[in-house]
Order: sequence, then structure tokens, then C-alpha cells
Amino acid sequence: MNNLVFGKYIPIDSFMHRLDPRAKLIGLFVMIFAIFLPKSWWAFLAIGVLVLLALISAKIGIRMIVQSFKPMIMMMIFLLVINALTVKTGDILFTYGTFALYSDALYNTLFVIVRLLLMISLTTLLTATTKPLDLTLAIEWLLKPLEIVKFPTYEVALMVSIALRFIPTIIEETIRIMNAQKSRGVDFENGNLSSKISSILSLIVPLFSVAFERAYELADAMEARGYVPGAERTRYHILRFHLRDFFYIFICIAALAFSIFTRIYL
Amino acid sequence: MAIKFKALSYIYNKDMPYAHKALDHIDLEITEGVITAIIGETGSGKSTLVEHLNALLLPSEGSLEILDYELAADKKVRFLKPLRKDVGLVFQFSEYQLFEETILKDVTFGPLNFGYSPEEATQRAKDALALLNIPEELYEKSPLEISGGQKRRVAIAGIIACDPKIIVLDEPTAGLDPKGAKQLIELFIDMNRTLHKTVILVTHDNEMVYNYADETVLLHQGKVVYHGPTLKLFNDKKMTEEYRLLEPQIVTFRNLLIEKGFKLTDEARTLDKLAEEIRKQLK
Repeated sequence: MNNLVFGKYIPIDSFMHRLDPRAKLIGLFVMIFAIFLPKSWWAFLAIGVLVLLALISAKIGIRMIVQSFKPMIMMMIFLLVINALTVKTGDILFTYGTFALYSDALYNTLFVIVRLLLMISLTTLLTATTKPLDLTLAIEWLLKPLEIVKFPTYEVALMVSIALRFIPTIIEETIRIMNAQKSRGVDFENGNLSSKISSILSLIVPLFSVAFERAYELADAMEARGYVPGAERTRYHILRFHLRDFFYIFICIAALAFSIFTRIYL
Repeated sequence: MAIKFKALSYIYNKDMPYAHKALDHIDLEITEGVITAIIGETGSGKSTLVEHLNALLLPSEGSLEILDYELAADKKVRFLKPLRKDVGLVFQFSEYQLFEETILKDVTFGPLNFGYSPEEATQRAKDALALLNIPEELYEKSPLEISGGQKRRVAIAGIIACDPKIIVLDEPTAGLDPKGAKQLIELFIDMNRTLHKTVILVTHDNEMVYNYADETVLLHQGKVVYHGPTLKLFNDKKMTEEYRLLEPQIVTFRNLLIEKGFKLTDEARTLDKLAEEIRKQLK
């Protein structure tokens, strides 16, 4: 479980790490459009180069990105099968009995896969270079306009940040309880159904009791430090846009413009 | 030799940018039948070392012999259950492992997993609970309803009931009241003296180490910097200063008494023994 890659923050210092989380989030939204609009390989090539540059400037290593692709392999195979069975346009590449594989099937699949890979690289890039708490600050900032319609921005952001904050704690707790039960002879990997159920129970029950205990403790700790729901709050960490943030957003918009251009003219 | 580490290293997040070497070429032999304390600052590798003893972690480099089992880097382990039966691990805050409906069932859980028959498992559980002073009227209660100290003792009974040859305790007394802590630790000392169990005690509490441990292993940044008799370590001013070991109160007290003209030996390592030696001289 320690090897979970997707969504894991890598605590190092780099250009991407120093960017304002809001800039990175806006950049991601812009890039989503830039990735899903074009139908030309030129646009993908350009975006691919940009993503690669961003990855290099984030210093997180291609290896980690490749690892984050792994969970997608099954989905890609599934996509290929579906496409091979349904797409009936383009040239016939080969036939087997009544089955014929068309070139468009491969072409479409490749298209989707490239889009997915670019998307995963970008989101992994965001989560790997942004602390979860900074990310919630950015989300809160983006939700600000909704306050006009009485949307509880701050409370939602707090809930999200507490949830994010406790993911590693709960994972740690899970590993600890799993280890304790393994030492008592529980085999989480093998065994028949009834022993599987009992081994899962031996994990779930303590986990719940710990989670509730933590929740009560957290609530007490927050009240003890004067937390009042809905009160006006100041921040210790104030986000500021720098030149590099505008530069980053500008590049993302340029990529979007290019992909719109290729969509219309190529 | 109960346990033998051979050039064992363990690296967390191997191949990641933030890889961390928690254990660095550990060569260590832990003697059968003695009480060995493992001490060191937070992050010195104590817990990592302990997790190897139950194959919860496998060495990144080097190997490890425990009783008749051998763990080595990149070697699949085929004897997990017998190993985990023979080496009982009592984790820090072990009360969090309780989950069954009743206390008796929870303590029976381990022995059943290790292949004891239901009757035998229940008998072992009852014996273990009795050993840990859990009154019989609690047996059918939920383990989540009893007090913190009782929970801890029930959890420990769950390990003892599996009849391990080696008992590993990670901060067993953390969060207990002084009396409960003393009772608990003396129970393990007793198991060592009468049943000849090998006891490994991981702790920050130098008082406890000085009072009870025959041998001490001092870890520092993933390396073993001392392994030998406990008394020798705490008498070595150079070591205690270099690794900032807190002098046990009993040593401070004894030294003050010696200054005042008492003749006291190293054997006076617990309060009771010290009192005895003082009493003899006052007669």
C-alpha cells in the first residue's frame, strides 16, 4: 500500500513545486480542453512536448509517471477490444474467420490512449508537486464566486482538507493493524471465503473504532483552539501570484489556442 | 542463537526520489533466553528492525536467521505462519488489534489461526487471560467496553496464547499507569525466568531497560552502535554522552549514595535491590 503512486505528493523542491497551486489548477483545466479538443497528431505532439518539459522541471522522474500508468493497462486493453469489435471503417488490416480488424479501430484506440496518458501525466504532475492542503486552498479560491449564492465554500474546503489530511493517517493505521493481525496468524492474501471475511473483519472493526476515536479527538482539539464554524478567518499562508504563475497559465492557454487552431485548420 | 542479522539493510521507498535507508548493514546476534532491550532515538530504525522479526518487512539487502527460519532479500518466504507463531509481536498500542465480539474469542483468534484445535485454543486463551489478571467475569464482554489498561492486557494475552518462543514487545507500557506498567513488565521478566522465553524489549524508557534488560542494543541512524551487557553501556560515560542517553534515576541516586560513603554494587539495579543493599549496610 506504500507503493501507491497516484495522488502522492513528492516532497522536493522544483519549478513546478514553487508554482501557485491556483495557477496549477487553472492550468490543468485549460490543458484538459487542450487535450480533448484536437484531432490532429500535431497538437498531441506539441502538448506531449510541453508535458515532458513540465515533468522534467518537476524533477519527479519518468519512472514514477510510468508507474502511474500501470493501473490503466487493463482499461486500455478493454478499449482496444471494444474498438476492434465495433469500428468498421478504414482499411482492413487482417481477417480471422468472420472477424476483421479495421485500421480505424487501432487509430481510435491509440487516440484515446494518448489522451488518457497525457491526462494522467498532468494530474499526477499536479498531485505530485502540490501539497494536498495547498490544493484545497486553490479549490476554495476557485469556489469563491459561489459564495454569492450562499455556497459554504470554507466549510466544504475544510471538509476536503480534513479528508485529504487523514488519508495518509488512515493508511498508516491500516498498515499497523494489518501488521498486528498478520502477527496473529491472519493471512490477508490466501484462504477460503469464510477465512477471508474473518480476516477483513479483523481489519475493519479496529479501523472504524480508531477512525471514530480520531474524529472525536480532532473535534475536541479544534474546539479547544477556538474553532467556530462559519466564523471569519485569517490565514497563516497567503497565496500570491508571481510572474512564473502567469507564465505557466500563459503557456497552457497558448497550448489550448494551438489545439483549437489545429482542430479548425488541420 | 535465537536471531542473527547478517549485513541486513532495509530501504523504504526503494527506487523513489525520497528513498530512505532505515537499517544500514545490521550485524547482530540476539542470544536465546535472555532479555534484550533495543533502544535508540525516534527514527533510529527500532520498529523497522522489529518488523523484520515477523517477516512483515523483508530485507532489502543481507539476510536474517530466526530460530530455524531464514529470511533473505528477494527470497519468497514459505513459513510465514510457523515463524509468526514462534515469534510473538506485541505492537505499540496493541489494544487497537482487538475486534472480536467477546474478549475470550479475541484471545482465541491467534491460536486458532495457528492451527490449535478449538478446545485447545480456548484453554490456551483462558490460561493467558488468567496470567494477565483478567477476571473471568469479563471473558464474555466486548473488548471495546473495558478500560484502556485491560484492553492492553487482553491484546497481550492474545499473543501469549499462541505460545511464542520469542516475545517481542514494542513500547509495551506506553500509556499505562506506573503500577500497571510495572506489573506488566514483571510478567514478561517472569516468563523469561521460568519459561525461558527470549524477550526483546523495544523502548524509550531507559529506567525500564536498566532495571530489567540483560543485554542492550543501541541503534543510531540505522546502525548498531552498541550491543552488550546493559550495565556496561550505562557505566560507559563516553557512550552515554555521545548518544545522549538519559542516565537512569537509579544510577544517579546510587552514585549520590556512593559519594556519601555507601558501598553499593552494580547489582542494585532496581529500587527493591537498592533498598536491600542499603538496609544491609544500615544494620
